[in-house]
Amino acid sequence: MDYFSHSWLPYLYLYGVGGIFFFSGVYLVWKTGAIDLSKSHHRTWMKVFFLGYAWFMIVHGLFTYFALQ
Amino acid sequence: METFHNIGTSTDWIVMVIYFLAIMSFGTYFGRYTKDTSDFFFGGRRFSWWLITMSIVATGVGSHSFVKYSAKGFEHGFSSSMTYLNDWFFVPFFMFGWLPIIVYSKVRSIPEYFEKRFNPSARFLATILLLFYMIGYIGIGFLTLGKAVIPMLPESFQIFGSIVDITLMRAIIVIAIITGIYITFGGQTAVIFTDLLQGFILLFAGFLLFILGITYVGGGQEFWDLLPLTWKLPLADFNEPSSFNFVGIFWQDAVAGSVGFLFMNQGLLMRFMACKSVNEGRKAATINILFVLPLSAIVVGNAGWLGKAMSVMDPGIVSPNTSPDEIFVVVASIVTSPGIFGFIMAALTAALMSTVDTLINATAAIFVNDVYRPIMKYLKKKYDNNKQKDKQELFAARITSIAITAAGVLSVLAFIQFPTVYEAHGYFHSTLTPPLVVAIFMGVFWKRFTPAGVITTFLGGVVLMILGARFPEVFISPFDHGIEMNPDRPYSYIRAFYNLIVCVGVGVFVTVTTVIQKNIASTIKSNKNSKSIMWVLSVFTGVVYLLAILGFSSLQFIFPVFIIVLVPIIVTYYSDYDEESSTKGLTVYSINEAKLAFKGSKVNEKLGETVEVNFFVSDHEQDEVMFSKNDLLKLGAEVGDLVYLSDKRKWLGGLKSIHSKIGKPHNEDGKVYLSEDQIDHGLFDKGKMLIAEKEM
Repeated sequence: MDYFSHSWLPYLYLYGVGGIFFFSGVYLVWKTGAIDLSKSHHRTWMKVFFLGYAWFMIVHGLFTYFALQ
Repeated sequence: METFHNIGTSTDWIVMVIYFLAIMSFGTYFGRYTKDTSDFFFGGRRFSWWLITMSIVATGVGSHSFVKYSAKGFEHGFSSSMTYLNDWFFVPFFMFGWLPIIVYSKVRSIPEYFEKRFNPSARFLATILLLFYMIGYIGIGFLTLGKAVIPMLPESFQIFGSIVDITLMRAIIVIAIITGIYITFGGQTAVIFTDLLQGFILLFAGFLLFILGITYVGGGQEFWDLLPLTWKLPLADFNEPSSFNFVGIFWQDAVAGSVGFLFMNQGLLMRFMACKSVNEGRKAATINILFVLPLSAIVVGNAGWLGKAMSVMDPGIVSPNTSPDEIFVVVASIVTSPGIFGFIMAALTAALMSTVDTLINATAAIFVNDVYRPIMKYLKKKYDNNKQKDKQELFAARITSIAITAAGVLSVLAFIQFPTVYEAHGYFHSTLTPPLVVAIFMGVFWKRFTPAGVITTFLGGVVLMILGARFPEVFISPFDHGIEMNPDRPYSYIRAFYNLIVCVGVGVFVTVTTVIQKNIASTIKSNKNSKSIMWVLSVFTGVVYLLAILGFSSLQFIFPVFIIVLVPIIVTYYSDYDEESSTKGLTVYSINEAKLAFKGSKVNEKLGETVEVNFFVSDHEQDEVMFSKNDLLKLGAEVGDLVYLSDKRKWLGGLKSIHSKIGKPHNEDGKVYLSEDQIDHGLFDKGKMLIAEKEM
């Protein structure tokens, strides 16, 4: 049985469309100077943003993979 | 569908009563730290990130409750956790946009932001929408509480010879009375501390249930093997069934819900504002979203997953026809022993109460700040001093809490028709959040967004949303991503997508046509009959709006056009809006100006360290503290900088602390001079050392 609409399709949509919002936010706060990459703690926050995004991608990805095994 | 009564034993009830008395005593003890409305609503802006993070657990878990998520866990599996794992997309906007703006601009409520950013009319409309939202949310909370408690109660009881049925509404009324009493006497500090305690208890109770349940079914591997494949997938099917599908819930929760949660939930914002600094608030948000929410997803959903595994293992233990909203109570009663079941039920209901009382507290804050204070100002009410003003406002806050509790109970009637709490919540969210969410978002992140834009977003957006609700097959179906329309409850979730699009569309259209509105307004102003023209236009627009809301005419499809064209002209005519001054410190483009205004002088960006000091009393009157010159060097601070002083005992989480300004330095290293008032406000204990850190 094809589980694509229950597994990888929602996954791609979540991180694709959700990613548009996320990367727009990162770009906007950087472009406006709200986040100042010359400050070390702001650079840390920028890393936290990307690590957080990757964290959720990995969690969802792993669960999807193992469920389909 | 199978429903239950009389689950549990007298031991469980005794445990529950003791638990509630303990929590209320704990909260009442910390209620004594409520000295003024700042403490009542914001906990004095003093707490560490970890304390706020744990206190958010009870609030966040309560609002996304055991009942709702166990129900969906039972019906659909791990995808019940979707809404707990989709909050990261808007975090950059929140952490470096909204959070610093609301802290540095010193707004006490979201409507107050609207007045500063736009005008008093925007504040008025935002207040109405926000009060609807908050009261509706309280109603959802009460409904969930009622559904959680009903399976434990008998169907009826006898009093004075008459049989009284225990119905859902009657149970909710009793719960509301208990909740109302608690929040009325406690305030925010009580809420923060009881939520802190309940956060730990909740996680413990949820994981205890999970471990007991896994053991009951025979172990982790057996649990995994019992679940059908689709129950193991972390995301729901893309667009079916209509009662629970990924794409509808993405737009309703990941987009509208996340922005609503981070930007519009006054209760949650008040928690972040109770942190000692913006950076501390960021830490609290990060840890909460990255780690605590995923753990909470397991805590609230596992009873449903276990219920499914048990129904596959043996339908005689848990029937596949069990009412989903009761699955949590059923599973908990099967896998736990008497006493433990009572403890778990106490943790569940207490978590729900913490959500509801946070909302009541927050709604009272909005009412006092955005209705009571403006009315007192209009009536030119005079106070002898600030203390008297604060005392009267505190009294008003407490009375408002009672009234809001009652309104919340009444709002339950709107949600009781839905088959599950999850669907009621989804429908409520997708309907009520879009106008405010769009308005806040565009206000913060689009400098050009005008008062005409925001007011038309509210008014025009609501009309278009109502049209969509009336004719979903016409307006919402083009956006449905293939979701089948249920004629009884059409598009419970995906309507959020349509609602967001119409609100954004109205806001953008009105803002980009600002020049045309200004030209028309100028032309009218130059006419000698301008007042009459505007009077006719305003009355006409008002009538059209009323007809559109009530749906009294076959022309209702055209009314939104009139509203979207005429409302901006009226607003532009009457308002005197300057983009430069109105956006200073209130958009993401001017955070630095917000910091400057907050401090009152140029921000000192020099990095420093924390310093340990002993405190002594000085008889100065200004809100200043005096350090030695060497200590100031270590702090990286200068005279006039803001400083945060807290008790050195970190486990207090900032309960004993103050913010102040640095005054003229002295030469005694390791000593700080405070006034009696500051020592009293900071709750500092004689002989205990303090830690100082420069703010900003």
